[in-house]
Amino acid sequence: MNSPIPVPATPRTPTDWNSPAMQNRIRRRYAAERRFKALGLVSILVSAAFLAFLLITMVGNGARGFTQTEIRLPVDFARSTLMLDPAALKGFGADAALAGADIEGVTAAAADAAFGDGGARLLSDGAWLSVREAIKERPEVLQGKADIWVPAATSVDLAAKGDGDAAGEAAYARLKAANAVQTGINLTFLTKADSTDPTLVGIWGALKGSLVTMFVTLILAFPIGVLSALYLEEYAPRNRWTDLIEVSINNLAAVPSIIFGLLGLAVFLNFMHLPRSAPLVGGLTLALMTMPVIVIAGRNAIKSVPPSIRDAALGIGASRVQVVFHHVLPLALPGILTGTIIGMARALGETAPLLMIGMRAFLASPPGGITDPATVLPVQIFLWSDEVSRGFVEKTSAAIIVLLVFLLAMNGLAIYLRNRFERRW
Amino acid sequence: MAKFHYLIGMAALALAGCQGEGGAGDAGGGSRDQIRAVGSSTVYPFTTAVAEQFPRKFPSFKAPIVESTGTGAGLKQFCAGVGAQFPDVANASRRIKKSELEDCTKNGVTEIVEIQVGIDGIALGESKAGAKMALSEEDIYKALAATPYGKPNTAKTWKDVNAALPAVAIKVFGPPPTSGTRDAFAELILEKGCDANAEMKTLKEADKDKHKEVCTKVREDGAYVESGENDNLIVQKLVANPDALGVFGYSFLEENLDKVQGVKLQGVEPTYETIASYKYPGARPLFIYVKSAHLKAIPGLKEFVGEYANAWNPETGYLKRRGLIAAPDDVRAKNVDIATKLTPLDPATID
Repeated sequence: MNSPIPVPATPRTPTDWNSPAMQNRIRRRYAAERRFKALGLVSILVSAAFLAFLLITMVGNGARGFTQTEIRLPVDFARSTLMLDPAALKGFGADAALAGADIEGVTAAAADAAFGDGGARLLSDGAWLSVREAIKERPEVLQGKADIWVPAATSVDLAAKGDGDAAGEAAYARLKAANAVQTGINLTFLTKADSTDPTLVGIWGALKGSLVTMFVTLILAFPIGVLSALYLEEYAPRNRWTDLIEVSINNLAAVPSIIFGLLGLAVFLNFMHLPRSAPLVGGLTLALMTMPVIVIAGRNAIKSVPPSIRDAALGIGASRVQVVFHHVLPLALPGILTGTIIGMARALGETAPLLMIGMRAFLASPPGGITDPATVLPVQIFLWSDEVSRGFVEKTSAAIIVLLVFLLAMNGLAIYLRNRFERRW
Repeated sequence: MAKFHYLIGMAALALAGCQGEGGAGDAGGGSRDQIRAVGSSTVYPFTTAVAEQFPRKFPSFKAPIVESTGTGAGLKQFCAGVGAQFPDVANASRRIKKSELEDCTKNGVTEIVEIQVGIDGIALGESKAGAKMALSEEDIYKALAATPYGKPNTAKTWKDVNAALPAVAIKVFGPPPTSGTRDAFAELILEKGCDANAEMKTLKEADKDKHKEVCTKVREDGAYVESGENDNLIVQKLVANPDALGVFGYSFLEENLDKVQGVKLQGVEPTYETIASYKYPGARPLFIYVKSAHLKAIPGLKEFVGEYANAWNPETGYLKRRGLIAAPDDVRAKNVDIATKLTPLDPATID
C-alpha cells in the first residue's frame, strides 16, 4: 500500500528564473495581464461614457423644464369690464360665478394696456387661469388694482432660457427692462396634468397614473408570483408536468411586451369589458408581464436557502407550512424582493402594451382611482415628443428626468432591501 | 409569524379583488360622464385644445378624453357600436369612407353628425440653408414614384426629373404608409402629378387598381426616407441635410419657421392664406364625427360640439393659434349650423 514515490532516474535541475528564456515568458505573462486589465477598463469607460452622455443631455435639456418664466401683469379690476360681485365669490356658486365672467378678455386687455399692442401674445394661453386663482383667493382685489404674476408665453419663456427666436428675444429684453419678468421653479409642472400648452403642462397626472398602475401590478403579481415559486420549489413533484410549467414560465418571461398588450386588449377590454385607458387594465396587463420575472427570481432565492435549515426545522417537528413560512420564506425574501423590484422597474418603463389598451389618451386631470382613465410616465414622454410646440422639447426631457429619478429610487430600494436582509452562509 | 399569515391574506384578497374588480368594471362600462374621442393624429392637437378649454368654460362637466389612434383605427372603434364602451367622437383627417359607413350601420350606429372643423395643409419644406426649390406636382411624382408612368424610376437628381431644377440628389423625408398624412400626400400631390399625363387618365378609366399602383406607389430605393409618424424628427433631419426635402403637416412648418422654409408647389408657397383658399395643392379638410345616439346619454357632448364651433373661428377662437387653418366663410357657416342643429350626415353624399 505505502509504495514509495517514484524517484526520477535523472534528478531535475531547478528552474533558472534569471535565464533570458524564462524572463521573456514572465514578461509575456505580465503583458497579457495588463492587456486584459486595460480591456476591462475600456469597456467600463465606454459604458460610463454612454451613461454620462445620456444624463448630461437629459439634465442639460431637462433642467430648464423645471423652471418657468413669469410676467408681472398689472390688472386694474375696478376699471375693467369684469362684472363680478366679490360677495358672490364666497361659498357655493363661486366657481359658477367665475366661469360666467370674461376673465380671459380682461387679462388680454390688461396685457395690451401694460405692454402695448400685442401684449396678450406675451402671456401664456392659460395666464387668465392665474388671474382667476388670484380673484378666487382674494376677492377683495376686484375693488382695486393688483399685480399678478402670470406664466409667460412659450416664445418669451424660451428666450428667457437662452433658446428663443428673434421676436421672443426682443419681447423678453423689453420685459426685462421694465423689470416685469422673473424665472422661478415651475410648480405647475410638478402638480398638474397634461395640457396642450407647454407653459401649463404638468407631470403629476402621468406620475400618479404610473403609481396607481404599479400598485395594481404589485397587488396582483407579487402574491401570485411568490406563491407559484413556493409551490414549484417546495411542494411540486418533479415530473413532466412541472417541467412543462417551468419551461412555460421561462418562455413567458421572454415574450415581447407588445404581445401582452394584445392579450390585454383581447381579454380585458374586448371580452371582460373593463374600462378602456384605466390603470386597472394597465396593471393587469403589466402584472402578466411581471409575474414570470417574480416566479423566476423567487425560485432562485428559495433554492439558495440551505437544505440543512429545512431539515433542522422538520427534525424538531415543524410542519411543512411552518418550515416554509417560519424559515424558508423569511430567508428567501431579500432575493424575492430584489427580483420583484427589478420586474416592477421594467414594468414602469413599459410603453408598448399600454398603447394597445388605450393608456395614451390626452387627460387634463390626474386619475382619481383605478378605473379612471390615466396615462403613465413613458407614454407621456412619447406623447410630448410628438407635440408641435417647441416648448415641449424641454418638458419631454424634464419628464425623462422624473422617470429616471423614479427608476433610481426603485433600484435604490432594491439594493437597500438586499443589504438590509441578506444573510450569508 | 403574523407577517406571513398576512401575506397569504393579501394573496387571497387580491384574488377576490380580481373578481370584484371585474364586476365593477362591467358596471363602469354601462355609463360614462366623460366624453371620449379617438382618431386622427392631425386633428388630435385641436380636439385636445378644445377638450382642455371645455371644463374651464363649463365647470359642471369633466374634461373629455382624447386618444390619437389614426383616422382608420379611430373610425373603426367609433363604428363598433352604441354604448358607453364605444367612443362618442371620431377625429378624421379625411371624409368617412363608404365601407366604414356601412360598418357603422351594421353595428347600429345609424346616425352620425359630420362636422368639418377646418383645413390642414401637407407642406413640403426644406432647411433654411436649402436651395429654395420650386416644384410642380409632376416633378414630385416623377422623382418619388416607384414606377413613373409605368417605367422604373431611374432619376437620381432633381435635374433628371426636370432640366430646370438643380442637380441635387433626390432625398425626401416623409411619413410611412400607415400615416394619414401619407395618404393625403399620395392623393393630393402624387396622383395629380400622375394624372397630368393623358395616358394615365385613360388608364384610370380602364384599370383603377393599376392606376392606383402606378400613381401612388412610392419608390423604395432610398430616395424617399420613411421617417416615422414624428414630424419633429423630420424637421431635425432637414436641418442636418440642407439638400433634402421633408413632407409634414403645415403646423410643423409654421412652428419651425426659423429652421425650415416651405417649398413652392405649382408656384404657390405654403402659407395660411394659400392653404385656406385651396390654392396650395396640399390642402385637405379635417372632420369630426359625432354619434347622434350618444348626444343625450353622454353629459356635455352637445356643449362640447358647440365649444368646438366657437374655437375654430379665426377671429375669436383659439384654434388658429394652434395651427388650424379655418375653412372658407361659407363652409364655416354651414358647419356652425350643423354643430348647433346637429343635423345627421346623409349617407347618400358619401362615395
